[in-house]
Amino acid sequence: MNQVIELLKTLREAALERNLKAFISYHEEDSYLMRFANSAISLNTNEHLIRLNFTAFDGHKRASFEMIVDPKDLDGMRQALDRLAEMLPHAQPLTYEPTFPVYERDVVDTRAYDPALAALSNEERLAYFNTLAEGLESDDVKLSGIFANGVTTTAQISTASEHTQFFRSTDAQITAVLSSESLKWEVNAEQSAQKKSDLNAKALHEDLALLVSHYQHDQAVQLPVGKYTVVFGPAAIAELTEMMGFYGMHGAALKQGFSFLKEEDRGKLAFSPKIQLADDPNQVELFAQEADAFGRLRKTFSLVKDGIFQNFVWDQDSADEFGETATGHDVMHFSLTMDGGDSPIATLKELLEMPREQDILYIPYIHYMNVVNPTQGMITGSSRFGALYLKKDGSVQVPFNVRLTQRFQDFFGEGVEWLSKKQVVYNTSNSYGQRNPNALKCPRFICVKDIEISHSNPSY
Amino acid sequence: MKDTIRKELDKLHAMGAHYVDARWYPREDSNFLFMWNGNLKENSFSSQTGLGVRVLYNGAWGFSASSDLSNPDAIFGKAFENARIASERVTFPVRLAEKEAITDSFTSPNEIDPFSIGLDQKVAFLQKMDVALNQAGVVQRASSMKFVRKQIVFMDSEGSEIEKNIIEVYPSLQVRGIDKDGGMQARDYLPGRTGPTRGWESLDEKLFLENADRIVRELNQLLVADDAPNGKMSVILLPDIMYLQTHETIGHALELDRILGYELSFAGGSFVRLEDFGKLHYGSDKLTVRADALVPNSPGSFGYDDDGVPAQDNLLIDKGLLVGAITGRQMAEEANAKAKKRIFEGSSGANRATSFYRVPMERMTNINVDPGTDGNLDDIIAKTEYGVVMDGDKSWSIGSNREQFHFACHIGWLVENGEKKGVVKNPTYRGETVPFYNSLSAVGDESTWHVHYVDNCGKGAPNQIMQLGHGVPVCRFDDVQVGE
Repeated sequence: MNQVIELLKTLREAALERNLKAFISYHEEDSYLMRFANSAISLNTNEHLIRLNFTAFDGHKRASFEMIVDPKDLDGMRQALDRLAEMLPHAQPLTYEPTFPVYERDVVDTRAYDPALAALSNEERLAYFNTLAEGLESDDVKLSGIFANGVTTTAQISTASEHTQFFRSTDAQITAVLSSESLKWEVNAEQSAQKKSDLNAKALHEDLALLVSHYQHDQAVQLPVGKYTVVFGPAAIAELTEMMGFYGMHGAALKQGFSFLKEEDRGKLAFSPKIQLADDPNQVELFAQEADAFGRLRKTFSLVKDGIFQNFVWDQDSADEFGETATGHDVMHFSLTMDGGDSPIATLKELLEMPREQDILYIPYIHYMNVVNPTQGMITGSSRFGALYLKKDGSVQVPFNVRLTQRFQDFFGEGVEWLSKKQVVYNTSNSYGQRNPNALKCPRFICVKDIEISHSNPSY
Repeated sequence: MKDTIRKELDKLHAMGAHYVDARWYPREDSNFLFMWNGNLKENSFSSQTGLGVRVLYNGAWGFSASSDLSNPDAIFGKAFENARIASERVTFPVRLAEKEAITDSFTSPNEIDPFSIGLDQKVAFLQKMDVALNQAGVVQRASSMKFVRKQIVFMDSEGSEIEKNIIEVYPSLQVRGIDKDGGMQARDYLPGRTGPTRGWESLDEKLFLENADRIVRELNQLLVADDAPNGKMSVILLPDIMYLQTHETIGHALELDRILGYELSFAGGSFVRLEDFGKLHYGSDKLTVRADALVPNSPGSFGYDDDGVPAQDNLLIDKGLLVGAITGRQMAEEANAKAKKRIFEGSSGANRATSFYRVPMERMTNINVDPGTDGNLDDIIAKTEYGVVMDGDKSWSIGSNREQFHFACHIGWLVENGEKKGVVKNPTYRGETVPFYNSLSAVGDESTWHVHYVDNCGKGAPNQIMQLGHGVPVCRFDDVQVGE
């Protein structure tokens, strides 16, 4: 930590020497990813990258410079500040004055850091996968997946003070897929970890074994299009929730006209009364941070309470532009939690064994979700990774993948029948850019009636 | 640095590595400007430098990368160690298709380096566009330009040494408005690659201003338009949606790593099987598709891929028949071995990485649909009984094996009895890939064909965003489900 803080203070001095009013942020990732395909390790990789971002302010003007850099290349960093000083006078003034970060206290938040997970070895990653797949592979059934883990360090300083913010977390994201080479079906199991003791390969093995058994022995069916009562798994719930938050609950989206929730929806019943949704910075397992990039200490922020939409979130720049108050959401990721309900169904096995009065379609995962119509909150996507059709007579069928094109309020509105009491953490991280561990906490299952299936595949 | 890399390559080879390569990025710069409703929201410059090393040991890959170049030996050592542990779980030892050792360089065709242009001039261009877009009906307007300049040094243990210097320019315009029913409508403009080069000179101000007027005009038509119809009918896809149809349901479906199951834990597989090559009628006989990495003005052309294999122009679909795939050295060998016959004559030169810190994999180059003989757009409309002309990529969602899809477009024009009627809003269509391409009934001529760039193609784990292109004509498909 000291080296990072020292570097930031050195760069702050360099900015002041150039008469720059600057915000400086540091991002370091130590990333490991073991990838499996065709029952082999198809790639074993690690990356150690340091990124610096300098943003300079001058009244209504703003410019930034980002670099992936050798940490010993101080000359290169100083040249970046020189370049920024050249850019700033040429920036076109904004119609508003962007807020400059001023830190009034030092913040050190390493709650989400676990030294044991940080030290995880190649051998341990491999052993985890060997355990979860034990006895499930064959000439036809092949293992794929990823074991991604790493350490993320971020830190910030501005020329306004010598105070700094420092955050460090560990994370792991595991996805295991078993697929039939001949039939092309695929089932999966996933896990999110913030500390080493979260890792549980045997739990994934149990889910995979159950799904493989059904996919190998139960009848495959092309479901007729139409309305179904659907139980969604945590992958589907988390991805839907995250997308709904982005398209429905951001103040910027509201002002830019592509939010399906409107100003007048605040304080009104917009979802099922069973839905409670909040951004909770106390959830360490969601890699939460206690302060945002502007030094605001973060508090639990209610988005939906008893189905009533509470408020939009405002990042600082949008708040500056639209004359609103920022809500502490200038963070790399939110920490969304959806409360559980009153159903005792807590595992896939229990879902399969539960007495049922109607046929139920189980969709654990929605592949390639995209927004068809943002102002209607309309999305589309296809089922993937282990859907099951649970007949009311107790039998189970394996449905070919289906497409659903529905509104967010069809998923979380009056059609909600029950939510599991048990909550699980689902990891939604991606590694397209810098490492940014991200997860949601949501009910293990949500059951929703009248979900429309618009297309049904004729085969796997 | 090159001497250090050469010594490390030799050292790992002597330690038992079957193959080693290194990609050193002395410098990659980018400059992004984004103006939103007159505000220059993004005014940023970025740079990166680093080294990525790939090692093949006992049939398995290891990779390591770092921006810390003070100890290259450690990066090579980690890559070797990663390969060593990977070799403990091998089912089909990696073999690489033959290639020649090459010493060469590639420079993308440019006249004016955009990094030599002052910020004032770039901002002035955006301001001019912003003024042009600021018209009645427009509630949100955006203009952007991104410039990339990268220097890549590739060296491998087989003796290749290739330096690439590539410049790209990615501009765009967009307008949004609220329609009569309260919905958001949008039109955008990403210029087709018309000239022979890809530097600052490719920004044709006159063309941008003409298209700014066009997208505002079309937006205003959308604001008062009725919804597109539902039902089975013809769809005529203009290049700004045909490129995406091609990308998602031909390009990705024909990446050989997907076909062989290497993307099942993330992006997905492919409905295509090895036995389909030379047999599957992917589309009607009007469909000819190629992976052409020699188009001079597209980001899908790069001189040499990150296996060090020269860029090529390869047929993928010949008059409807599936004949080729997008391949690198590893997958071509593995496919031939698994098929127990020689389907692929070596790598097609399409193994690419997005940065020094990502590993190469099969990526699209320029996946182009050849122009046809059915005339221009008016000719095709004149021979269409009932359908919708569609344009603009509003949303896309594709099945995990690329077997089915759903697209929403920004704008549609109703066609009845050979005549283009009014604009319709919220057009969508969906289908199953092979039946859809077999319903291809008209392909526009050269006048309808243009190269569309893509700068956001995602794939792989760790995830990578890749840049590429699609040259496509206007195409008509019949009996397609429109609406929903």
